[in-house]
Amino acid sequence: MKISLRHFILFSLFLLLIILFAFISLINSKVTNKLDGVLWTVPAKVYSRQMVIAEGIEINKGMMIKELSLHSYIKKSLPKNPGDYSFKNDSLSIFLRGHEDQEAGLFKVNFSKDKVVSIKRSDGIKLDLIQLEPLAIGGMFPSHMEDRLIVNWHQVPESLIEILLSVEDQTFFEHHGLSLKSILRAFYQNVLAMDIKQGGSTVTQQLAKNLFFSSQRSLSRKLQEAIAAILIEFHYSKEEILLAYINDVYLSQAGTRSINGFGLGAEHFFGATLKNLEIDQLSLLVGMLKGPSLYNPRRNPERALSRRNLILDILEQKSIISSSENLEMKEKPLGLVSPKFRSETKYPAFHDLVRIELNENFKDSDLRTQGLRIFTNLDPIIQESLAKSFKKTKIELIKKYGKSLEDLEGAAIVVDSRNGEIRALLGSSSPNSFGFNRALNAVRPVGSLLKPFVYLTALKDYKRYNLSTLLDDTRLTLNLPEGGVWEPNNFDKKFHGIVPLHQALWDSYNIATVRLGLDIGYEDTIKVFNSLGIEKEIPNYPSLFIGSFEMTPIEMIQAYQTIASNGFFTPLRAVREIRGIGNDLAFSYPYKIEQRFRPEPIYLLKFALQQTFVRGTARGFSKKEIKRFQNWGKTGTSNDQRDSWFVGYAGDYLVLIWLGFDDNRESPLTGRSGSFQVWKDFIKSINPIEFKDNRRELARINNEWVDLKDGLLSGQDCKNSISVPFIKGSEPLVTPDARKKCRVKEKIPENSIMDKVRKILEDLTE
Amino acid sequence: MKKHLLLLSCILFFTSCTSVDNRLNIENVEEVSTFASNIENLLSELEFLKLEVLKLNSSKPPIQRILNEADAFWIRGNLDQTNLQLERALRISKNEGPIYLRLAHLRIEQGLNKEAKAFAAKGLLINNLSNWERLLLNVYFQHDNS
Repeated sequence: MKISLRHFILFSLFLLLIILFAFISLINSKVTNKLDGVLWTVPAKVYSRQMVIAEGIEINKGMMIKELSLHSYIKKSLPKNPGDYSFKNDSLSIFLRGHEDQEAGLFKVNFSKDKVVSIKRSDGIKLDLIQLEPLAIGGMFPSHMEDRLIVNWHQVPESLIEILLSVEDQTFFEHHGLSLKSILRAFYQNVLAMDIKQGGSTVTQQLAKNLFFSSQRSLSRKLQEAIAAILIEFHYSKEEILLAYINDVYLSQAGTRSINGFGLGAEHFFGATLKNLEIDQLSLLVGMLKGPSLYNPRRNPERALSRRNLILDILEQKSIISSSENLEMKEKPLGLVSPKFRSETKYPAFHDLVRIELNENFKDSDLRTQGLRIFTNLDPIIQESLAKSFKKTKIELIKKYGKSLEDLEGAAIVVDSRNGEIRALLGSSSPNSFGFNRALNAVRPVGSLLKPFVYLTALKDYKRYNLSTLLDDTRLTLNLPEGGVWEPNNFDKKFHGIVPLHQALWDSYNIATVRLGLDIGYEDTIKVFNSLGIEKEIPNYPSLFIGSFEMTPIEMIQAYQTIASNGFFTPLRAVREIRGIGNDLAFSYPYKIEQRFRPEPIYLLKFALQQTFVRGTARGFSKKEIKRFQNWGKTGTSNDQRDSWFVGYAGDYLVLIWLGFDDNRESPLTGRSGSFQVWKDFIKSINPIEFKDNRRELARINNEWVDLKDGLLSGQDCKNSISVPFIKGSEPLVTPDARKKCRVKEKIPENSIMDKVRKILEDLTE
Repeated sequence: MKKHLLLLSCILFFTSCTSVDNRLNIENVEEVSTFASNIENLLSELEFLKLEVLKLNSSKPPIQRILNEADAFWIRGNLDQTNLQLERALRISKNEGPIYLRLAHLRIEQGLNKEAKAFAAKGLLINNLSNWERLLLNVYFQHDNS
């Protein structure tokens, strides 16, 4: 059969058409699949809590200034740009960078001592509160990951669109994917240069290139890009295309992750949300598109600056800004935040806890792809101060006790006792390393840290025990059920005879405590342990009462939190809330609370634990400081000093420190000489604001002067006496003859009628 | 128990009236009976109780604003956001009766009666509550869990 040339040409054309059609269909399916589906996998990001400055509220100014510096705010004599602040004469002027819940701008905060008395915007308008942006402390990304912060249309400032289109694609709203004018101009330039030097790409073409093709420059790739661009324009609105471009562009590299999209670019370079960037900052980001590495403002600041200024000139030419605005903006520095402000993952031990909490409600794959934003309770200044105190004390301990302490390990947790929020957590002696997290996973004998729970069990039974009940601290020999005998000993290897209950606790006597525990019985004691929040199985052998039981630091501080919050059990929380793309609330971890104890026995226990600071194992704070922070706490040392513990409360913070060796060898440290030293340094460094005891005086508590030794009634003027709280009806009744003279009954002021009514009401609730 | 509370509320009312304004005629039976019937409603009807709670606000402007935001979420039925705002307020100022009262009521709406009672109990430990706040907190503390 003879095929005519005409037929051949027609057939070839038909074939070509089919191939072209198939080719376009292929690109079309690529385009729609990608743009219709989930465009990018976005790792979850983790943030610290936001610092709030509110009128009428007390704030620790020292900590506030430290936090500003951590957020890369820079002290200036006259704050003019985002990220500047000044602090003079109890007045803070701060140019906030802004975020979703806080507009950017200049604000003035006046203090009177620690109290915020007024907050004003630069235009004089009075405000109730301002909030610092939360600090990004890491993300849930695998290695070699594109990272981005997706923004929606409302989060994109109009000026970004103007700048972007002025520089990258002036006819964006007129063309259909390709701009003939730009292509001709590029072609002319390339012919002149005898090489492919310039691209005539529209924003749509650039998006097509970024999404589907490699960066190779060739004519065939250009053709594919052009087809894809036309198809994108066919399927999607101009706004959708722009938004995809804004979220997609590559801006920089930070370690193993790449910084993509203007949303993350704004945070990475300026520590602010995109919406709050100023024109000069946006110009810098847009300018970087031409060569993200070449114009990287951190690596090549001068080149980046001149590129930014060039963009500003273009904006002036296009009348987007006036010439005076241009001049003013050119005067501005780049205004970058320090790179450490947005490092990959800060505070890894805290992240472990975040992950545990999140894994209860989120799949790992969701955390790596859904762009969730996780707001935690971490206080970056508390965390930094804790790590600093830990490091400093360890160096001092090595100096004092020798090189054997070089591999001393530790853990520390700080809880806001008001609501059980975890403010800081250290899982090892090197705070930046990943690995075994001792705060969460080291199961260690807790020593005397357990004793207060035994005493609480006793004090609950107020008809039998009060703080001055006498306990027996003489030799004790116990026959064990499995055979053999057990003789508990005191830390000082001495017997102390008959001692009042509170002294046995503040001096941490073992024998008296074992006797007390045996007297109360295992059942009641274990019930109290459970009520405090200890959920694991508790053995019933006598050494339990002096802490031969093993727990992790996080379990231990959970139990102490119930004491700190006056008998209310609250599960500790690292995560506050989780927001999805567009700032919608995805999940929250609410404040849970359950009353497990009446406040009175807890009050008595805290009194005894405060004596640890006054006359016991935690001496080292002045009376003024103890009053100021309302300290109470307990040291703990396990057998052969393998574990050094301290848990204590000061000014709303509950802080636990553990020190020891991973191989469980003996150390020269006791609870006092080791962990307490870290605790002391930490509390003194953060210097909490004065604790204002705003609790109602408990109606069922009476204070009485008693003798330190015999526990019987005494008087303020008698020697060796102490004023001790008692639950009404449990006070000692006897005043020895010798003390009758020095015991003067204190006058009880006449109650007003309102007080009487209140008391009746209170009694009704009991 | 409710009768006791009712009686005491009346005493409270009288005493606060007399302490505020001596000219007030405490024999104003009509006013007292309205008040007493209000208390009765209050003790039995959660919606009434909620209205009373929402009338209370902090004296501190930032807390006022946050509580207003919380209330706005609450009216729209968004309990999670309401809770977030209340917790936010509590972080800024820990000793505020109106916050604890809202938390107690919110927990009842969330079906968490035990927590409601605990928030009321915790609120009752605050020193500077007004008599009315104390009374309302007591109502939540006594609230029948069944």
